[in-house]
Amino acid sequence: MGKQNDPCWVIAQKDIRDALHDRFIILVTGFLMIASLTALTVAAIALHTDVATYTDAVKTLLALGKSVDVIAAPEFYPLRLLRGFVEHTQIIGAVLGILLGYRAAASERGHQTLALMLTRPISQSQFLWGKIQGAILLLGAGLSAVFLVVGVAVYGISGVGLSAMDGVRLLLVLLAALVHTLLFFLLGFAAALWSRHLPHALLFAFTIWLALVLLAPQIGDTLDPDNQVAGGVFKQLDIEKPHQIEILKSFATYETIRTGIEALSPTKHFERFSFAVLGIKETYAGRPLWPILEEKTGDILWLLGLLATLSGLLFVCRLNTQKLTQE
Amino acid sequence: MHITTEIGSVNTLTTITRQAIINSLRDQTVVILVLLFLILVLVSAYLGWSATTTVNMIYLHSAEFLVAHDRPVPPNPVLDTSPLVLLRNMATYVSLIGALAAIVVGYQTIAGDRKAEVLPLLGSRPLIQKHYGYGKILALTIMLLGLVAIAALINTLAFMLLPEFTLDATGWLRLGAFYLTSGLYLLVFGLLGLACASYARSESVALLVPVTCWLIFTFVLPQLTSNINPVAALNPVSALADPPESTFFQITGILLGPVSLAEAYRLISAQLLDFLPPDYVSHSAIAPIWSLLLAGVGLHFTAIWAIARMDMARGAYHG
Repeated sequence: MGKQNDPCWVIAQKDIRDALHDRFIILVTGFLMIASLTALTVAAIALHTDVATYTDAVKTLLALGKSVDVIAAPEFYPLRLLRGFVEHTQIIGAVLGILLGYRAAASERGHQTLALMLTRPISQSQFLWGKIQGAILLLGAGLSAVFLVVGVAVYGISGVGLSAMDGVRLLLVLLAALVHTLLFFLLGFAAALWSRHLPHALLFAFTIWLALVLLAPQIGDTLDPDNQVAGGVFKQLDIEKPHQIEILKSFATYETIRTGIEALSPTKHFERFSFAVLGIKETYAGRPLWPILEEKTGDILWLLGLLATLSGLLFVCRLNTQKLTQE
Repeated sequence: MHITTEIGSVNTLTTITRQAIINSLRDQTVVILVLLFLILVLVSAYLGWSATTTVNMIYLHSAEFLVAHDRPVPPNPVLDTSPLVLLRNMATYVSLIGALAAIVVGYQTIAGDRKAEVLPLLGSRPLIQKHYGYGKILALTIMLLGLVAIAALINTLAFMLLPEFTLDATGWLRLGAFYLTSGLYLLVFGLLGLACASYARSESVALLVPVTCWLIFTFVLPQLTSNINPVAALNPVSALADPPESTFFQITGILLGPVSLAEAYRLISAQLLDFLPPDYVSHSAIAPIWSLLLAGVGLHFTAIWAIARMDMARGAYHG
């Protein structure tokens, strides 16, 4: 059977056509691109300010006849400019996934075509796989376009060309972003497929989005003792790192709960992976890629495991067409 | 005759307001979001208490360590802070879930009628469209202020149950002012949702435009004015980092600061709840409270205008 006659491919093609007619998907992708470019520009300006401050300080020290070794030169890693971009991808990308998932199910339910489709000689699995295929292609194309534009913009803004290894790092983060966004696609899709009332599905998906993308990381971050006091509690108390670790041993349960709340969020795993691979987190800047990947395997497995679980649930549960036509 | 007309207007206004409130309270979407917000209000008090207690314990452990090593012991940072700091997460939850709930309540206040296709019926009655608009805005204001009042009650109970955090008269006044500001902030987003629900032809546009505006206010504008990354904007302490000393941030602060509503609300909250760093300088051209007040007044008139131009003969969304 040729690809053109494959029911999954036919469904995927139709979904892509419908989604492109629906301006929202293009608009939200455009919004993600604008927000990302804004973040990148602002990061470059902030870095430029740091460099200017350093240059002024060096001039002052030299004029005073002192050594410039007393101040640390700002280190420049072009990929570190992408912090805001990664954060926008995790927040707005998830919204994009939910809207695409909701639309994929709602369009069939709204036109009463879902029950009709399932009376044709295609299985539920073929229908679902067709929808997922369409989403992978749409999200993959949208995210690739955003990553490409941002990658070119890093070069344009910083004037430093990205190496092949930088390209590989960006590609890995793009793949992780695709998995993360697909998770939210499945959430929006499943909610709209199973909910009795469509508006409730959108609300449910957005509530989960709030909880997983914004609240869980926020609670984990806010509970961090070092984030309670401006500048950090240990810095204010002038306690060195080894002693900080020693003191924090007495708060192991608190730390377990705090990191446990953070770990519930797939977004946090995406962020940890991306910040490490791109060297945005200081401890990973300039480190070779392979050891980082080894260290961050857990985060990527967590994302893939959740994707497999959600997909599995979607394929295992039978669709109640009677309920769907009542909408 | 004049008095009869006025009584009729008041009755119409009361009927529309009451009906809008009843309809919203029956809507599961609104109820779930409001419940989620109230749960987070409770969580906020717990988080504040838990985090503050932990920092205090860390200080005590650190002090023991410093004494053992003959090093000077700095003052306890917890004692430097006001008990109101316990509620610092409230500012984040109001600007996240509170604003989203307000958008949905505002949207539902008008969309409920449009989806039920009752506008043609209302249009056939001797109803002045302006009164319909005032009734809806009044209903929205009552619902949002009610929500803030419940949140205030929860937090008041939290303060009464935690004897180690006591407030003096000034503290209670500051807390009251914080809730009034929160009410104003929610009203801004509620009016935005209401205006979009009235103006838009399609239901999805009516919901997505205010949500996109919320994303811009919360995550994009603070980045442009103060270099606050999206995730840092979620942390009440990190979100108050000083903007870099640069002409760019000074200009964007002056130009965009007045419309950076989430930032304005965060600043006012930090001032009222006593956790604004003393050396923090805002570059905005106007005081943050003016940003919120002007946005509230502007959106009030926009909502009235959007309702006035609604086609009462059709009303329903196209898609």
